[in-house]
Amino acid sequence: MGLGDLLPGGGTQKSEGGLGMFGASSPTFLTTKIDFVINWGRRNSLWPMPFGTACCAIEMMAAAASNFDLARFGMERMSFSPRQADVLICAGRVPYKLAPVLRRIWDQMPQPKWCVSMGACASSGGVFDVYSMVQGIDTIVPVDVYVPGCPPRPEGLIYGLMMIQEKIREESLSRHFEHRAEDPALVAQAKANETEIVGLTGPFGNSTLQEKRSDGAALSPDE
Amino acid sequence: MTDRPLGGLDAVERGPLPSESGATSSFVSIEGESDHPSVAALRARFGSAIQRHRVSAGDQTVVWIDAAKSLEILTWLKDDPGQKYDMMSDVTGVDYGNGRPVEVVYQMFSTTHKRELRLRCPLPLDALEIDSVAGLWHSANWLEREVYDLFGVTFKGHPDLRRILMPQDYAEGHPLRKDFPLRGRFSRAEQTRRALAQDVERFYGAQELVEGGEPQQVFARPARDSGAEG
Repeated sequence: MGLGDLLPGGGTQKSEGGLGMFGASSPTFLTTKIDFVINWGRRNSLWPMPFGTACCAIEMMAAAASNFDLARFGMERMSFSPRQADVLICAGRVPYKLAPVLRRIWDQMPQPKWCVSMGACASSGGVFDVYSMVQGIDTIVPVDVYVPGCPPRPEGLIYGLMMIQEKIREESLSRHFEHRAEDPALVAQAKANETEIVGLTGPFGNSTLQEKRSDGAALSPDE
Repeated sequence: MTDRPLGGLDAVERGPLPSESGATSSFVSIEGESDHPSVAALRARFGSAIQRHRVSAGDQTVVWIDAAKSLEILTWLKDDPGQKYDMMSDVTGVDYGNGRPVEVVYQMFSTTHKRELRLRCPLPLDALEIDSVAGLWHSANWLEREVYDLFGVTFKGHPDLRRILMPQDYAEGHPLRKDFPLRGRFSRAEQTRRALAQDVERFYGAQELVEGGEPQQVFARPARDSGAEG
């Protein structure tokens, strides 16, 4: 007696119907339930990979400490090893020198994986619209949730992680790979293409306007 | 110009000096005597190599010296029994812009005589070279690398003069110079491409962290970058 015997119209003897072992009446019943069980397990046992580089990391620590207690959501274990992590929390500003490190940590995390960009600097460069700073980590890695704030309060991070959980709830095994698969050829490459990067990282707000070529060509220092 | 240091809100009320004035420095110079014993000793020994001095921020004596004689002066300041500046607290640089000289600043402290002294060496922009003092104070080693990295000042005789803050193959120049654009010289796309093309292990080798470990010998710059250095 297998699982199929418990399902309406199910059973191995019906397999000649062409739709598999569970018959024509509910072709998606089993995958739906598997999705539910797997997503339930995934979203309640997310292990974050904390990539804390600045003051946002302090708020992330506060979120993990007893007052806010991220462990309530199954995030008992902050995974300081990318190979055992599900969620990359990038908390703080990322300089260009650190960009390949962030990218490699993302590449080392096994699928399925999600990414939270915590705070203004990780999401857009923040006030650091300067020569040394990555203008939003979404040019480096794919981001699922942006948490605004400078820094966000722990509630903000928890809300962002709950949005990740909502996102996982909507996922389906049958569509998973087309959504989340990454091209192995793009390992260690920028997430956005050049046009997107130039568009994403343009000066905004009251940034100081400066002469700068934005066509991707390199200016020589003498120019 | 007044011969007393500006204090309190005087400097705020006066406002900034015009940057295009072409003066070598906006500081008031004092040609007279100084309370600081090292200033008189320096003038007595090195004469015209000591350009001027002033008191800054209440009690900080600053002495401008000729960069050509900086190593001789600093060696004497460290070794002379009457000076004994045995602690090099900081080596840094200032670029005042508008073609004015870049100044290399040495902040020293004598644990024997409990005295502080600050030396400044103006360097013209077309000859950003000065003798390294890393052989006198080991603390100057990384500090001079930082000045080299961010201002492009070459320290002659430095044992390991390479970038310390910016990536080793950074090709956009020296960021703290006034002629350096705030967002760098390359487009964001080019900066991102170059950043991700870095070989991370090349810069964060574990063997350098071992005590007595040799620096990695992989910093020979690829030929394509050698001409782009500002």
